[in-house]
Amino acid sequence: MLFLQLLLGGLQTGALYALTACGFALIFGATKVFHFAHGASFTLAGYLFLLMWNNGYPAWLGVLAAILVATGFGVAMERFVYRPIQRHEGGFFTVFVAAFGVSLVVQNLVGMWAGRGFVVADSTLSRATEVLPEVFLAPVFWVSLAVAAVLFLALGLFLTRHPAGVALRALAQNSDLIRAYGLSSHRLSLLAFALGSALAAPAAVLTAITTGMNEAVGHHVMLISMAATIVGGVGSLKGAALAGLSLGVAESVVLNFADPQWAEAASFVVLFGFILFRPSGLFGHAVAR
Amino acid sequence: MRLSRRALLGSAIAAPTLARAQGGDPYVIGTLFPLSGPNAEYGKVFTEGVQLAMQHAQSEGMLRRPLRLQAEDTQALPQQAVVGMTKLVNVDRASYVMVGFTAVSKAVAPVGDRAKTVMVNGGAVGPDLAGLSPYFWNTIPLAHLETREMLPFMMRRNLKRVALVYVDDPLGDAILGILRNDLPRAGGQLVGSFSVPRTAQQFGPVAARIRQTRPDTVYIASFGAQQGQIIKGLRDNGVTVPLTSYSAMNLESIRNLAEAEGLLFTSQQTDFAAGDELTRRYAADFKARFGSDPGTYNTNYYNATRLFCLLAQKLERENKEVNGDTLRAALLEQKEFDLVGGRASFDEQGSMTAAIQINEVRGGRVNTVTG
Amino acid sequence: MTAYLANLATLAAIFGILAATLNVAVGYAGIFSVAHAVFFGLGAYAGAQLALLLVPDALLAMLVAALVAGGLSLCLALPALRVRGEYFVAASLGLQMMATTLFTEAKGLTGGMGGLVGIPRPMVLGFEVPTLALALAALVLILLATWLMARGSFGRTLRAIRDAESAAEALGKNINAAKALAVAFACAGAGVAGALFALHMSFVNVESFTLDQSVLVMAMVIVGGTGTLWGPLLGAVLLLSLPAGLSFLPFIPPTEIGAVQQIIYGAAMTLLMIFRPAGLLGDMRTGRKA
Repeated sequence: MLFLQLLLGGLQTGALYALTACGFALIFGATKVFHFAHGASFTLAGYLFLLMWNNGYPAWLGVLAAILVATGFGVAMERFVYRPIQRHEGGFFTVFVAAFGVSLVVQNLVGMWAGRGFVVADSTLSRATEVLPEVFLAPVFWVSLAVAAVLFLALGLFLTRHPAGVALRALAQNSDLIRAYGLSSHRLSLLAFALGSALAAPAAVLTAITTGMNEAVGHHVMLISMAATIVGGVGSLKGAALAGLSLGVAESVVLNFADPQWAEAASFVVLFGFILFRPSGLFGHAVAR
Repeated sequence: MRLSRRALLGSAIAAPTLARAQGGDPYVIGTLFPLSGPNAEYGKVFTEGVQLAMQHAQSEGMLRRPLRLQAEDTQALPQQAVVGMTKLVNVDRASYVMVGFTAVSKAVAPVGDRAKTVMVNGGAVGPDLAGLSPYFWNTIPLAHLETREMLPFMMRRNLKRVALVYVDDPLGDAILGILRNDLPRAGGQLVGSFSVPRTAQQFGPVAARIRQTRPDTVYIASFGAQQGQIIKGLRDNGVTVPLTSYSAMNLESIRNLAEAEGLLFTSQQTDFAAGDELTRRYAADFKARFGSDPGTYNTNYYNATRLFCLLAQKLERENKEVNGDTLRAALLEQKEFDLVGGRASFDEQGSMTAAIQINEVRGGRVNTVTG
Repeated sequence: MTAYLANLATLAAIFGILAATLNVAVGYAGIFSVAHAVFFGLGAYAGAQLALLLVPDALLAMLVAALVAGGLSLCLALPALRVRGEYFVAASLGLQMMATTLFTEAKGLTGGMGGLVGIPRPMVLGFEVPTLALALAALVLILLATWLMARGSFGRTLRAIRDAESAAEALGKNINAAKALAVAFACAGAGVAGALFALHMSFVNVESFTLDQSVLVMAMVIVGGTGTLWGPLLGAVLLLSLPAGLSFLPFIPPTEIGAVQQIIYGAAMTLLMIFRPAGLLGDMRTGRKA
């Protein structure tokens, strides 16, 4: 029963990891920008939702605001930070340091504005009840899974049916080709950032309800997203989502066998192992030399 | 120390004209608190206590020289703390430095020891912080002592099967040791202990493991933002038994957390309503200046600052220089001081001992529990 | 003031060593590691334990630290030989996270979160010497070694690998050996810095060897300019003295000092990268892609 409980708990966490990871992977795949400030989108969305929730605004308005702020932040990052750097052919780590700087700024501004420390949106959604003997589930479990499923379905449809989605996938494969066909890769980059950042918002809202936020939460989100993108195989959204889900499950299920202090390391052992033995990831194209 | 001697000389010469007016170079009170990063909430709380004590000392005219606060951000990290400490000692010539957090305390202790600058901790409570240096004092009872006081109370409340969630640092280790050794003697049993990394965010899985041990209470030994996450994680995931902890829980973010209702934790004894004049003024002025009731940490750092003012006042009266050695001599000579919360006494190592009380969170407020 | 500046200078020299050695991996061999703090930590623990248990001889501590860190650099070389670019970044990230947990749990060797206290002051041949002198000497030696290496055939091999790995292989360069050697040199250097750090601080615990520290060292290299000799050193000095300098600003309310400093610090990094993407000393025309 413990195993089942851990598995279900892991699925709930994993669904949220999958959403943020998928957003990160979408951005990275389409634009080749290692968007280290993805965690900052998450933080901003979560805090804005908290603010609106605690001031009595309806939840849907809070969610909408969270999505808008995450999208706006992502677009602003691409427009004002990444694009100028890439114009100068800035390297991978130049982007990384710039994004790291922005994350620091966001984290501390949020701390100054919303207070430092732990905050949570108080809701009955996160309160678990015993559904089977020894197995506790909260309504938010179903919400998380449903939200993740619906969003992945919608994203899948968009990427395969809508012309812009198809172009986005093409951009991931070959950006020169896109240019040759006269499509604007700049506009597509913006689209990738908008979509990818928007995906972080629902996860942030659900995190604000369940585990709560502090202003430094973006860091952890970033690590998981990055790990999931690599494990899943760069360029594969399906892979990133599945890897995010598995990282969440692994982090939880490992408690069936080991003490909790090893939980975080366990996810990264998985990551390290993947890189050593299957560097192309779950669904990626071969990249090993 | 050259500077302070010159300053003392200066104030002696100026004495006839200025009389007891505050003049001369200020005494610099340094602080090494986390002011950014995940533990920044503590830095704010600590600083408030220092600020209020300085305000009171200045308005009372306790000292001939003014006081100046010099805050350095440590992010609760050792390296940043050493940079800040060398600045306080060598550039600002601080007379007195207040620190918090175990790693920070241990990292700055050698620097302060070499410079003979008094360092006072009112926030970190690991047992490894006693006797770090003759110049390192504590104005907080070390936490494992708090845990010991909690045991009889747990037995009276019939909380006999205890599960522990702890961060694996010297403090968590000490609490684990007490629960392992002293709890059975008191009539209880440690049914499970779960070490969590400092960076852990998800406590649903830990809650599942805890439920399996069927505890009567869960003792939480963590600090900072993580404490709130643990409480919420346990409550959300079917752990309904009473939660117990130590003074690190005395934070606004915990008081305001709905899931923290009924949380029991120890702290040093302070009766703000019925106490002496000093305590009453402190409680009233704190509320007026910061808009909330003072907590343990506000009080500890108020007391740490107050202690400096009392010692320096004594030294000024005796026309002695104010430095690490004279401060220490004065502390050991007097040993007992009127501080907020009543009389406090210090041992040879400079650690304060105080009576412990048990608190309960009810409706966003912290109430003292008796019995 | 002198003691304060000496302390800052010592830390700058130590981080200068870290940045300069990481630069060998990043700037010359194209190995992007965010696990440099792991080897910094290994060196620090090795040096500290040697000083605590045997003799507080600084040279011996540095040597042992270099051997331990250099020897264990295989952990990093292994993935480096298999994957490139962002994959390697993630591998080193995984290594960093595992090492942080191990440092916390292996209390017998590292003291865990409580750390190691009372590490004696550095001695050389029985005389106490300031850490600053040792750190500067080590820094000069490492910069000299880097300079010689960059000029020699080994440096050309590394640059060839960085710019076009397949081409280098086709030209008959032994890529694996060159990469492993570059990693070993970088990690051994980090170990030396670690030993100096432990002797300087007299206290070390795991909180100095986290991912944040690795990222900071990486930022030093990038800000200064990868692949340049002096860039990483400049980056180290800048990123250490910026927060220190900001703490002299008099007008910020005490409880907001930390946040304001961090905001200025973060904004400075971002603006610098936008306007000088190749780093302060990097060549703008040949700003490179990883």
